[in-house]
Amino acid sequence: MKRSSRFKIASIIVILIHSLLLTGCWDRVEVNDLALILAFAVDKEEDGLYRMSVQLPLVSSLGGPSGGGGGTSGDKSYYVDSATGKTLREANNVLQSRMSRKLFYAHHRVIVIGEETAKSGLREILDVIARFPENRLTAYMVVAKGKGFDLLKAQPQFERFSAEAMRELIKMVGVTVTVKDIAQMLNTPGVDAYLPVLASVDSRPKGKSKEIELIGFSMFRDDRFAHFLTLEHAKGIRWFQPTFYSYATDFDIRKNREISVQVNQGRMEITPIVRNGKVHFQINVHARAAIIEDHSGTDWGNSKNLRMLENKLAANISEGIRTTLQEMVKNQSDIAGLGLVLARKYPQLWKTSFRENWDKHLKAVTFEIRTRATVPNIGQTTENLTKEEMR
Amino acid sequence: MKHTRQSKKEQNIAQLNEKSLSELESFPVRSSLEENIEILEHLFQDCSDFVLREFQLKDSVQACAVFVDGLIDTQSVNEALRALMILKGGRESIRSIEHEVLPVSQISEVTSYKDFLSAVLGGDTGILVDGNDIALTLGIRGAEKRSVNEPEGEAVVRGPREGFIENIRTNTSLLRRKLKTPRLKMKSIVVGKESNTNLVVSYLEGIVDPALRDEVISRIEHIEIDAVLESGYIEEMIQDNALSPFPQVQYSERPDTVAAALLEGRIAIFVDGTPMVLIVPTTFWMMMQANEDYYERFQMATLVRWLRYLFLAISLVTPAGYVAISTFHQEMLPTTLLLSIAAARESIPFPAIVEALIMEISFEALREAGIRLPKTVGQAVSILGALVVGQAAVQAGIVSAPMVIVVSITGIASFTVPHYNASIALRMLRFPLMFAASFLGIYGILVGILLIMGHMANLRSFGVPYLSPLAPMSIGDFKDVLIRAPWTIMEKRPSFTGVEDEKRLNTASINKSRQTSD
Repeated sequence: MKRSSRFKIASIIVILIHSLLLTGCWDRVEVNDLALILAFAVDKEEDGLYRMSVQLPLVSSLGGPSGGGGGTSGDKSYYVDSATGKTLREANNVLQSRMSRKLFYAHHRVIVIGEETAKSGLREILDVIARFPENRLTAYMVVAKGKGFDLLKAQPQFERFSAEAMRELIKMVGVTVTVKDIAQMLNTPGVDAYLPVLASVDSRPKGKSKEIELIGFSMFRDDRFAHFLTLEHAKGIRWFQPTFYSYATDFDIRKNREISVQVNQGRMEITPIVRNGKVHFQINVHARAAIIEDHSGTDWGNSKNLRMLENKLAANISEGIRTTLQEMVKNQSDIAGLGLVLARKYPQLWKTSFRENWDKHLKAVTFEIRTRATVPNIGQTTENLTKEEMR
Repeated sequence: MKHTRQSKKEQNIAQLNEKSLSELESFPVRSSLEENIEILEHLFQDCSDFVLREFQLKDSVQACAVFVDGLIDTQSVNEALRALMILKGGRESIRSIEHEVLPVSQISEVTSYKDFLSAVLGGDTGILVDGNDIALTLGIRGAEKRSVNEPEGEAVVRGPREGFIENIRTNTSLLRRKLKTPRLKMKSIVVGKESNTNLVVSYLEGIVDPALRDEVISRIEHIEIDAVLESGYIEEMIQDNALSPFPQVQYSERPDTVAAALLEGRIAIFVDGTPMVLIVPTTFWMMMQANEDYYERFQMATLVRWLRYLFLAISLVTPAGYVAISTFHQEMLPTTLLLSIAAARESIPFPAIVEALIMEISFEALREAGIRLPKTVGQAVSILGALVVGQAAVQAGIVSAPMVIVVSITGIASFTVPHYNASIALRMLRFPLMFAASFLGIYGILVGILLIMGHMANLRSFGVPYLSPLAPMSIGDFKDVLIRAPWTIMEKRPSFTGVEDEKRLNTASINKSRQTSD
């Protein structure tokens, strides 16, 4: 009795172990059978097809065990390939059919949207990105000036891959938009999407490298490209970000006398006021800055001078924000999320009268910007070192 | 009539050699010296180390001394014999020899051949006097033994440097020096039909759980084996689960470790002929503790303990984790790391699991070779290991550099477990985990770990759950598992060993004296 039950258990275990071995390693993929996609670009062809380009590292040229450091000199350490299809998946399948390794999406860091694609709408391509689990919602999205393909082909000097360069660049500028952010911006009424615009430019003095440059931002209305915001006009955009990244700005302190300050801390409060069906935004900005370069030779130990600087800085910041907001209003693209602020303050009113056609209402919006800037840090010296000391 | 008796006796004697020592229990010491000598000479035929010295007491009473050459202290035996040879007295005088003549402190009377022979073979000197069916054994031992050295297997920075040796008497004396109390009991048991090895079961009466003590003694008494050459024999025969890879008996060659164990209500088993003293019951967490934890400052000890727990996990999981992540879950690695792993693996001909097996097995082989080889050759092994397996294999593109790193970390991690037998268990379990990882990925590792944990939770060492005090949970005992609490907080002995006398120290009085001295 006991013996037979033991025999049964033993045979069950043996069968289980054998079935485990029979399964093989069905999902197993070695690292060297993967083609890691670092970035991919989506362009719209003239015939309406999507052209998907992928940037793949050539792992063997990255410096294996006996190679002794690869570096960027000589051969490129990556290559770019592209294919067209009615859907991105179809393009992917075409690409895969000429790859000896499995295209692996889990490591892409940047999704480049070509200009044409941005104009025709983001919803279609966001679907496959969100639906396919290998894709990451934390990947950054950028818009390319011209073809996205060209951005992937650029060969910046600092990084081995332009994907890495793009990622680091937009992280440094501080205006990062991930797939998740875009999805949220698109599905939240009262906010419109925006994406950084990158271009590949020749380095100067002209070298062999193509560098990546941030040239501005694209404003979206719904999921379509609405307007290109130049950097000049986009100065205010960083103030609407959830976290403030410090930045440097310069302006005339006196006639033709420039001063550069680093804005280290910033905070913005937006208060919507609705009066007679008209929406007015009261925007209060607080900034703290430090002087980093001064061509005017002013004595910053003097509090009168300092106050003058603070006022000029405040005006400068206000001006930046105003320009951005004006562009926004003009192009009916609410990238600052003013609608959302309004909806939070007046939820009922928002639902009944603004939600449906916020684009239209945006045109009639007025705002007032009050900036208070302080400059507690004037640097290591009060005046230019070379100036003669006062006796 | 006389003839038949004679032949029967001869038959008896002839059979003696086939019997083991314990079977001579009912074979009494004869009163005729002649007969005794005949028996002894028959028993010790062809034993060149056996010495039988016949002599006359002063009034021509025949007597003889028997001993094994090399086990006795010759000078003391000479002295004893000199005392005997000037003896005055009658034939029935063995008592008076014992009480009046022999200047020997350890002396006992025996009546059976079993006791007589076991004493003589143990190194005592036996005295037989004609006309007495009582023999005397003199405890004048002088066998060669190693001096008390620092134990090589359990080195410490801070703590006593003495370790046990192969002589059981020396070992018990080392323990007695730590615990000078009559509550320290040393119960002697002889195991092994041929080896007649002396075992001493040691415990602190009043602290140890009597049921546990009886269980240990009964398990040892039920052992029937021809010889016990090392405490490992005993360990395997008294442990609860013979098939488990986890050691359920701790061993130590340090008197301080053994004394500390006894103070926790545990039981030590000394085995003659080995410096390794067994300690039962044992839990998994005790395997993660070193004696130095209690001598160093408690913050350091706590940190070191957590370091061990961390590296325990590393030694178990790292190779399996590497295999799983690099073949199933590539998305889990940071991109740059994955790229460098991919670059390193680009020219490797084997799949990750094969690579891992090659490296892990050759590491185990290196380790084994390093232990087993003569010390003079040991250096050659380490050079070969470092150069051939490490560098050359990577340069030749047979294994990848990350794999070498994984194996090295695993190797170092497995050496952080203070008890060698516990680290062996973990090293073995690494391999099934690697297999599971190779076809089920991280899911496989988790299944494997769950199985291991289930097994550990099921395991008991002399009735004490192997994972206690964590499972079953006893929060009061965490103070010596998750942390090493300062001594003043560890007021009570651990409860899971079933101790009788719980209180260990009086914190109130310590604190009071510290305050008044301010």
